Amino acid sequence: MSEANQFEPKIVAYVCNWCTYLGADLAGTTRLEYPANVRIIRLPCTGRIDFNLLIKAFEIGADAVLVSGCHPGDCHYTAGNYHARRRWILFRELLDTLGFDLRRIYFTWISAAEGRKWQEEITRITEETRQLGPYRELYQKNGFRRPAPPPPPKPPAPNKSAMAAQEQQLRETCTRLLTEGTVQVVIGYGASGPAFIRRAEDVGKLIWNTDCQANLTTYLKRKEIKRLGKAAVVVKGCDERGLVILEKESQIDRQTLRVIGMACDGMGQPKCDTCEVHQPRFADEIIGDVAPGFSPAPADLKVGVTAATHPLDALMKMSPAERMSFWAQEFERCVKCYACRQVCPLCYCERCIGDKNRPVAIDTSATPKGNFAWHITRAFHLAGRCVGCGECTRACPEGIPLGLLNLALARAAEKHFGYQAGMDSKVEPLIGSYALTDKEDFIR
Amino acid sequence: MSDVPNKTGLAPDVAPDVAPGFSPLSADLKVGATTQVILKAALRDLAKEWIAQGKVVAGPVKTKPGLILYAPLASAEEIVWEGFVHPANSAKEFVFPRHELLCRYQMEGNRVELTNGGVEVAAQILIAVRPCDAAALPILDHVFNWDYRDESYNRRREATTVVTLACASHDESCFCTSVGLGPQSERGSDVMLFDLGDAYEVRCLTEKGRALFAGRTQASERTAPPNLGPEPRFSPEHIKKFVDEHFSSPFWQDETLACLGCGACAYNCPTCHCFDIVDEGNGQHGERVRNWDSCQFAQFTLHASGHNPRPDQGSRQRQRVLHKFSIYPEKFGEILCTGCGNCTRNCPEGQGLLTLLTGIEHA
Repeated sequence: MSEANQFEPKIVAYVCNWCTYLGADLAGTTRLEYPANVRIIRLPCTGRIDFNLLIKAFEIGADAVLVSGCHPGDCHYTAGNYHARRRWILFRELLDTLGFDLRRIYFTWISAAEGRKWQEEITRITEETRQLGPYRELYQKNGFRRPAPPPPPKPPAPNKSAMAAQEQQLRETCTRLLTEGTVQVVIGYGASGPAFIRRAEDVGKLIWNTDCQANLTTYLKRKEIKRLGKAAVVVKGCDERGLVILEKESQIDRQTLRVIGMACDGMGQPKCDTCEVHQPRFADEIIGDVAPGFSPAPADLKVGVTAATHPLDALMKMSPAERMSFWAQEFERCVKCYACRQVCPLCYCERCIGDKNRPVAIDTSATPKGNFAWHITRAFHLAGRCVGCGECTRACPEGIPLGLLNLALARAAEKHFGYQAGMDSKVEPLIGSYALTDKEDFIR
Repeated sequence: MSDVPNKTGLAPDVAPDVAPGFSPLSADLKVGATTQVILKAALRDLAKEWIAQGKVVAGPVKTKPGLILYAPLASAEEIVWEGFVHPANSAKEFVFPRHELLCRYQMEGNRVELTNGGVEVAAQILIAVRPCDAAALPILDHVFNWDYRDESYNRRREATTVVTLACASHDESCFCTSVGLGPQSERGSDVMLFDLGDAYEVRCLTEKGRALFAGRTQASERTAPPNLGPEPRFSPEHIKKFVDEHFSSPFWQDETLACLGCGACAYNCPTCHCFDIVDEGNGQHGERVRNWDSCQFAQFTLHASGHNPRPDQGSRQRQRVLHKFSIYPEKFGEILCTGCGNCTRNCPEGQGLLTLLTGIEHA
């Protein structure tokens, strides 16, 4: 007997309590036969099914995963399944970028009356998975090695003399804010990293040049900084987008925070190629000017629009197994120092899910399993929130291009929902809201 | 050697009629001195042989543009010999891995079955290691042996031979000379290599090292010029005095505001050695593993009650300096820092120990 004949796929089904579970129950009570390969896990609502559970199922040996709940409009809790639908649309895109085999991930709507549909779907899923065979590619390197994609072309060098003038103006502004007592601390750039200026006579320590890479808004979450009193923070247009999200999520009080926006031609970084916010828009003080319509890069280099040279596009041209191999090689270097998390302005949880240990949600081990689980979680917790400042990639001592995962999600948000995080302070957060019109083509 | 076209083993820029090992006189010649040298091509071949013998050979590898890491070599050609100051990680990983299996458990009814995680440790050679990484190994030896003898550490350590490449350059993060080491320090090395242009001067310091290079070097009169390295930036005695006397000083809070509390400094530090032991698995079976941990994480000292004796980054940074310059020296008589500067190079915000230590020096 060949292995294909012996192989019995293991299928994990996460189902909602009110519709699909009752549908499966109906299938049983009406004596409808279906393959015994499915392990049903009942949860209150699809809206309550954490994306990590899908990954966990694969980790412990599932060959396919099904998530199923009430039809749109039928949710016991009114809208849980709409929230779930929006999350799945984005999560599938992340899994695709990581090289997961999407043929092994199923989504269905099955009502309490649809015992027959449950029977049919389970039969279909079991058969299709049997054809695919065991899921051996998970987290595997497969010996695949491809040279790193070429870095995107460098944008033109920034205007140094304009920056010197801005630096002078920045110091004057900060002197005023500190002297008037508007703020107690200015979070700005100093010669050797971030500077926290508390006295007007120290403003000379503030600098403005192409070394000002860091996104300083990340300091707003730190209690050591909050203790210093009312703050002013120096931001570039890209950093400022994070403030829009932080305000929407009630993390900052725009009444007390002073935002000093620096007009910026680009810092000579690849991310500056795709930047659309050279001129700050929400800042209280705007320093310098970028000519209207200024763009250091061709107009087609926008998030969500393909640029042939972008590393993400090079990645997406690979097969899923190759993509997984690529990430397995990258994550192999991860030592779990959490620089990516600490440097991110939007990772502000008091206690990160990565630190939870009763029970452990994500293995702390720097193993393929622990590292994939961490990076999937980090990226997806930033879905619809990441503003693409690129700090995670910059901070990683092991050179893992983490920003690619966030960029994939940002592109997905724009493609499916026309949403760009931090661009419009009036728009509702992407995750946490839903629309009846959300479109997908993978839920049966 | 058969795949090397030049059978004499000479570097291509040396005239073929010169006897092997005796290159044209150079400025660094010391008359009357006898040293051992190995031609660069011959050393590459030797590394190839080690790999072919099934030894794990690890050294600096160009992982991707702009990133050099110590990593196991697939081939001897991968070693990056020059053009950089220090790999982004440290060599401690090869004796104290970031993740290590301690044991496996299996439960059936009331019975618990334990299997030791003891993996076979292959002989390994760390090559082109920096003197600051080599010097960290005897320091780690104390930690893993002072009361409990850590078997897995010791097994790896015994299986390891350290072939150090003396530094020819330094950057602004380097401060080995401030902690009593230098670009040519021999501490922790089994063999020292010194770049002579077309060859390396080889100084075998231990039996292990001599065994590795026996019969492969040639006598020579060439020797490497001394390299003094960076100017000292602070005095460790002053640091110890300061940290002992300024436990409650606002200095710590004021000077660590930029610290974001990640482990990039500690995880890439050759001497940081904190770890956490966790069980991963379920009620039936699983593994007990040892993972790196860092005193810079908020959770490192968090009590079950919710109290945290080191509640902010200032106290966590203070702990790091205290441990390196006071607690460890009191216990073992030496500093827990080799001045490699990796904390500064890897800090996302450009901080690192040196920032604090020079701050203390001028405080």
